[in-house]
Amino acid sequence: MTISPSEDGGFVLQLSRRERALLRTVLELYPLIPASHHRLSRTADPGQIAADQKLLEEALTAQKQENHRHLRTWLAGEGGFKPRRGGFTLTLNGPQLDWFLQVLNDVRVGSWLKLDCPDERNGRPVHLTPANARYYFAMQYCGMVQSLLLQGMNGDA
Amino acid sequence: MPFETSLGLAYSLAMAEVAEPVVLPDIEREQKPDSRSDREPGYRVICWDDPVNLMDYVTHVFQVVFGWPKPKAEHHMLEVHHQGKSLLTRESLERAEHYVHQLQKYSLQATMERD
Repeated sequence: MTISPSEDGGFVLQLSRRERALLRTVLELYPLIPASHHRLSRTADPGQIAADQKLLEEALTAQKQENHRHLRTWLAGEGGFKPRRGGFTLTLNGPQLDWFLQVLNDVRVGSWLKLDCPDERNGRPVHLTPANARYYFAMQYCGMVQSLLLQGMNGDA
Repeated sequence: MPFETSLGLAYSLAMAEVAEPVVLPDIEREQKPDSRSDREPGYRVICWDDPVNLMDYVTHVFQVVFGWPKPKAEHHMLEVHHQGKSLLTRESLERAEHYVHQLQKYSLQATMERD
């Protein structure tokens, strides 16, 4: 998978057939982060901010439902993938790239939650099982695609 | 945040070929008396470290949400990475809620704490 600037100021991802299939498989996991994962405050009395916490979760849920609807439409319409020799290209403009990064990060962070929040730096390695292996793959794959996209935006690709 | 950052951002916000950016209304609040304390910048918006969000991604989100230049966004990202958290801004209640919602939309660990 490679990324390069497009003529109209966006970016073009070039993917092989297998890379596109993997990307679609990973994107179909969206959304993975439950709205209840996010807390409004770490210090406030939960009872006193319950109403605001509920509003936050409702807003995040609505946002993800809209993203999910948009993602399904996008994938059903081939998601902007255009055939090329030996694979596909995917052209993304700035807003699309930002949206795509959000979706990828939901799958990455959600996969990390499914893996019980491993933290190698602090001695909490991943415990892989047949049941959670796909989340490990999704976490790593999303991270790789995110890094590629961000490097492209930074002009480092 | 396991990856190193890279320099030289080149944003492009042109054209809309396949996807439109999804913009939803912010959190709606019930009408209630607008107390002075709610309008004063007495709420800290904090981003907390975690081992999963990429450093470049966090920098990108700070730039998008706050409109910061890259050096400032990187400064706060590194504070999160090295010190476990970064105070991003002090705001009124409503603005703090807005920023927390925006940051969490990107799946960052952000909260608002009363001064």
